[in-house]
Amino acid sequence: MKQEIRSERIRESYQKMDHPSGLTLLLYPMEGFSSAYAMLTTDYGSVDMAFRTDPKADFTRIPAGTAHFLEHKMFENEDGDAFAKYAATGASANAFTSFDKTSYLFGCADHFEESLRILLEFVTTPYFTPQTVNKEQGIIGQEIKMYDDNPDWRVLFNLLKAMYVKHPISIDIAGTVESIAEITADSLYETYHAFYNLRNMVLTVAGSFSPDTVVRIVDETLRPAPQLYLERGFVKEPDQVAQKRIEQKFPVAAPMFGLGLKVRPADPKTNVVNSIVNEIVNEVLVGDASPLYRRLYDGGLINATFDSETDCGKDFSALIFSGESKEPDRAAQEILKEIERVQKTGIDPAAFKRSKKAVYGRYIRMLNRPDSIANAMAGAYFSGLDVYDLLEIAAGATLEEAQRRLAEDYKTEYAALSVISPLD
Amino acid sequence: MNDSIKRKKIGEGVFFTAITDPKFKSNRISVNLLLPLEEETAANRAIVPFVLRLRYRDCPDFTRLNEKLCDLYGAIVDGDVRKYGAYQIMNLSVQFLDDRYSIAGEPLVQACADLACGMLFDPYLESGLFSEEDVRLERQNLIDTIASEFNDKREYAINKCISLMFDGSPLAVKKYGTRERAERITAESATEAYRDILRRAAVEILFIGCGDPSAAEKVFSTRFAGVQRQPVTYDVSLPCVSSKEVRTVREDMDIAQGKLVMGFRTGETTSPDAVNAMKMMVALYGGTPFSRLFQNVREKLSLCYYCAARYDKASGMMMVDSGVETGNEQKARDEILRQLELVKQGAFDDGELNSTILTISNALKSTVDTLSGLENWYLTQILSGTDESPLENAQKVSQITKDEIRAAASQITLDTVFFLAAKKEGQDQ
Repeated sequence: MKQEIRSERIRESYQKMDHPSGLTLLLYPMEGFSSAYAMLTTDYGSVDMAFRTDPKADFTRIPAGTAHFLEHKMFENEDGDAFAKYAATGASANAFTSFDKTSYLFGCADHFEESLRILLEFVTTPYFTPQTVNKEQGIIGQEIKMYDDNPDWRVLFNLLKAMYVKHPISIDIAGTVESIAEITADSLYETYHAFYNLRNMVLTVAGSFSPDTVVRIVDETLRPAPQLYLERGFVKEPDQVAQKRIEQKFPVAAPMFGLGLKVRPADPKTNVVNSIVNEIVNEVLVGDASPLYRRLYDGGLINATFDSETDCGKDFSALIFSGESKEPDRAAQEILKEIERVQKTGIDPAAFKRSKKAVYGRYIRMLNRPDSIANAMAGAYFSGLDVYDLLEIAAGATLEEAQRRLAEDYKTEYAALSVISPLD
Repeated sequence: MNDSIKRKKIGEGVFFTAITDPKFKSNRISVNLLLPLEEETAANRAIVPFVLRLRYRDCPDFTRLNEKLCDLYGAIVDGDVRKYGAYQIMNLSVQFLDDRYSIAGEPLVQACADLACGMLFDPYLESGLFSEEDVRLERQNLIDTIASEFNDKREYAINKCISLMFDGSPLAVKKYGTRERAERITAESATEAYRDILRRAAVEILFIGCGDPSAAEKVFSTRFAGVQRQPVTYDVSLPCVSSKEVRTVREDMDIAQGKLVMGFRTGETTSPDAVNAMKMMVALYGGTPFSRLFQNVREKLSLCYYCAARYDKASGMMMVDSGVETGNEQKARDEILRQLELVKQGAFDDGELNSTILTISNALKSTVDTLSGLENWYLTQILSGTDESPLENAQKVSQITKDEIRAAASQITLDTVFFLAAKKEGQDQ
């Protein structure tokens, strides 16, 4: 079944196809481009820590870091490693694991067909042995240590640990040296078969390629996946944060902070819609043109590293403000005070209008590049949206909606602060 | 691919290059002001783009300026400093949506070109000087930026190795200068640096995107015509050095993982062919996931999570950097050198070379699909005195032979090894 998804606003379109194998294809050919970018994504990330494939069975618990571990191990097949295969096509290949997705991708200007075949084949061919699992534990152990030395990463994961009481978002995506020690070849197979069912995956392609070629290669490479029953074990996360403040001493030059507001999640789609509106609200509150930004910048409480973001998944949603500050606690206090002030006075309509344009511009720019389009299509798809919806949500946001989000999502009593401070 | 490149002299030492392609949805204007790196002046010049970014005569308020940028659909203005070989590049850029994508059809190209020009030529001044307040703020930010190099341990180790390797030469001068110099910046010294840059810098303006560059070209030509210019002559020649002896330096720090950085000199690479061969040699040795370093140091010996080589043609340097467990650094160092020796002996097969060629030419062909890819490519080309397109370069690197790779490898000499060791708990150093 084929469907054209169209944007009247930017006069572009792409194709959606439900392939007989069970895989969904989202194909976005872009005129004038030289490269293509293909990404195979499974709806499975670091926060999926329990599942069952039989409604009567107990939930299977997954050790922290399994999604990321699987991502590494998928590159190895009985007949060699996928990078070595890509070496013969010249494609630039990679993979990444986030809180709620695992993606395998490549970008290329030539030999698209061969590279696509490699991608589809290696991600659908699991091969794990006790030896290879053991060796990977060593490599990932080094990767975890590399992140331990990264203060940006530490400030974020310390913050999530302070914000969340039970939710696995507070655990490093790669897990810990101890948790990955629990992973075995058998546990990887079991997890793989649950989450890497083609019905739980999407192939997104953008740039210079022919959709017919993609369909032909998918026809040739993939067999129909078994029917899928997949239920995730969610935890009941309270509104309250685990702790209000967390601090780590670290060899850094200046203190860094992350201020997080915990948002009560709705359904996955609503989480995305709300978080786009919240991007506009963030822009109003702390964007470069806001009075608060000016006050903090002039007071030396923030510098150009300051940024705000909205982050959400199926069962979590958060607002995060971060940067370097010589007085992290004061910077955080000022942000919280400003939120409460604007909640009382209401959002200035002119500021709203401006901020909306800025966020809209950001989403148009996202549609400038094959890699960001492939990425955005996958993200939107698993939330039940198409990529143009993101644009339309930004373009159509109203002041009333923004006021409502500000009232409902920006609860200062559910804030936590993470500070990285220099060694004495 | 539909991109076209037009480079034109629009003033004394001022060039305007337009790279346009209708496939894009946005445009970028990037003004690059080049001067030789000098220890004494680096910090004073480095602050200039950050002060210019704050406000300008026709928009004398930082918040109003940012409001204006929001209204231009989130146009992004950036000031920053880059380094290319022994040159310091003060950069001011503005990126914005094309007119076709504004909701009400507002013209954005002209507005953004005017804005970039306003920032560059009509800064906000008080009694002829940058505002004390602006300089105070940006001086502190510059000091913090210089200090924050310490935060990213991988970057810190790389920079440390570069400083050791080029000690005493302009190549060792950091792009933001030193903390000591930055602390002494005043409104007078920064304003003087600004006037000096405007008068003496070699200027390269790039317009990249889908819009019509003529409005931008016109406004920059007109404005530069009003400046008394005595531009420096930009010298593209490369340093040609080999190392005489290896220097090894170790530093201990309270971190989880050691960082090993090895700086090599690439000897004489004056011809474009020699540069291409060196680029391919470094890629085959440590620039891809199937390279010698990745396959052996990481995959076979599991000594590290990352181990990669990069080539900086402007400094005549190859650098290998790796995150290794303290205690394994000698093993890693030995293996890194052993692999280089094998490449020198030509102990690699045609498959490795072919894959490297495919990977690099693929990457080259893909650079034309992003504004940043095009900007980096063409700026580097201009600075090395050519206007070769990525496709032309892809064609050339595809012809590289095994002998050329061996010849390039044989020119490489190890110069400096820097190891940032992870101090074990309870261990005093």
